Amino acid sequence: MSTDVKKSWQATRLPCPAKETGSCTPTLERGAPYLARLPALITGAALLLLASGFVLAVYYNPDHGFASIQFIARNVNSGWLIQGFHTTGATMLFAAVYLLLFRDIYRRAYTAPGELVWLLRVKLFALLLLVGWLGYALSDGAVAYWSLTDAANAATGLGGVAGVIGRWFFGGPNGAGTLARLEVFHAVLALAVLGALGAHRCATRALARQAKPKHPVSCHPYYTAQTFAAFTVFALIFAVLMFFAPHYGLNPLNRAAADSLIIPAVLSPPWYLAPVSAVASVFSTTLGSIFGVIAMLAVLAALPWLDRSSPTGKRGLVYRLLMGLLLLDVIGLGWSVSDPACTISGGLTVFFTIWYFFHFLVLTPLVTALEAK
Amino acid sequence: MADTSQHAMEHGGESRRDFLKILTVASGAVGAGAVIWPFIDALGPDANGTAAAHLIVNVAGIPENSAITVTWNGLPIYIRKLTAQQIADTKAVVTSTLVDPASFNSRVKPGYDSFVVVVGLNTGSPCALEGNAPADPRGPFDGWLSPCDGSVYDPLGRVRGGPSTKNLVIPRFKFINDAQIQFG
Repeated sequence: MSTDVKKSWQATRLPCPAKETGSCTPTLERGAPYLARLPALITGAALLLLASGFVLAVYYNPDHGFASIQFIARNVNSGWLIQGFHTTGATMLFAAVYLLLFRDIYRRAYTAPGELVWLLRVKLFALLLLVGWLGYALSDGAVAYWSLTDAANAATGLGGVAGVIGRWFFGGPNGAGTLARLEVFHAVLALAVLGALGAHRCATRALARQAKPKHPVSCHPYYTAQTFAAFTVFALIFAVLMFFAPHYGLNPLNRAAADSLIIPAVLSPPWYLAPVSAVASVFSTTLGSIFGVIAMLAVLAALPWLDRSSPTGKRGLVYRLLMGLLLLDVIGLGWSVSDPACTISGGLTVFFTIWYFFHFLVLTPLVTALEAK
Repeated sequence: MADTSQHAMEHGGESRRDFLKILTVASGAVGAGAVIWPFIDALGPDANGTAAAHLIVNVAGIPENSAITVTWNGLPIYIRKLTAQQIADTKAVVTSTLVDPASFNSRVKPGYDSFVVVVGLNTGSPCALEGNAPADPRGPFDGWLSPCDGSVYDPLGRVRGGPSTKNLVIPRFKFINDAQIQFG
């Protein structure tokens, strides 16, 4: 049987998607910056998290979450390294996603025809926040335990549909079996993240095909080489963080076992959850906090329609300045919940939250409309 | 690669680009291997599992004509010390007359004739055998007896009667000195 015959035999029975155009034919614009390779790096980090998560799931025991992580780090061969891949992988993944989102906002990449790609990126971010929090809860340290206990108590205490969902999700207050179900949700939603990444890849490919490049080059070898170079730098930062700062951005109190009678003095989440946690902490009721977080993501998703400038319009200096303020605002949000010793931090959290919504809901439409004139 | 080879010929050897390519691919392969190795390593048995799989048992204290039971890999292992009479009797048996023919030497380790190490489960219907203590019922051959189906084994663990037709399984083990055996 010749290769061609075999190929058609398979092609008729297993019709794989047609070979992506752009891999060999010159359809891409020359000179994309290294930061344009962020989605590839995010996918790489997600795959590493998935692989290390599989190994961790083999040894993780939801009845003794904290002790089983200690077992993984101390007794399992190379377990400390696998755990390092997972912890630092989460940090690197979120760093890349925050950078991707901020770069998109700065470049106004969300404007037509990029709205769907932007929406998929916000969706990816939202999914990752949930998966990240679940993973943090699974660590079962002193701080994560209280985060989970508070969340479960708040959710199960809700009335109406929200309460039904909350009780379904947590299965009652934090107790036996709670971590087991969260482990399953963590894994299932992690696979959903891969699905979101796949949809995002299709959308970006379609976007790249639509654009008519002035100096077309083929994906291989021009952008594969660039991806490898970007990946090398990413891996280098990853290695430095993992081996020299394995707990970077994580609350050190979470390295202690949980005690149901002792609440840690500092209840700050990992750095990548901190800005969202800050917005949630502003509201006094559970429903308010949920609303705050959803609104925070919703204004991000609505950005293509909040930006009133035309796609070919001018990019003014004032809006660039506001970008810098937004970056500082998000950093400030995260910082304000990680340092409760500061007495004004509560007030600052409120201020930064108000500024966040003010930026997107008032300043963005106003300034972009004015600058487009 | 036409220009590369031309370039290489001009310089009478490998070009700088070829060298860099080999260097990059080689270090990339080492890096990929270093990342993949922990995933393979982590799913292997840990030190406790390895130690349990290579259990060391002290056999010096076993009195003649009795056996001890140890658990290894989830199986009951019987370690029996034979008397001189039992050694002589089992050596005298004509091997070809047995249900599952096995010579004396195939049932013990060379140089340690008096120790028999078997999995203490009846080979027919799985069932722990009786006969470790001298006072236990041992059957007509002074070996082991299955309380479930009445199968009879001699002191070497060879089946001599009953529904079972296979000799007792000998686990993987070795003598690491005169007093200790190691499984696995």
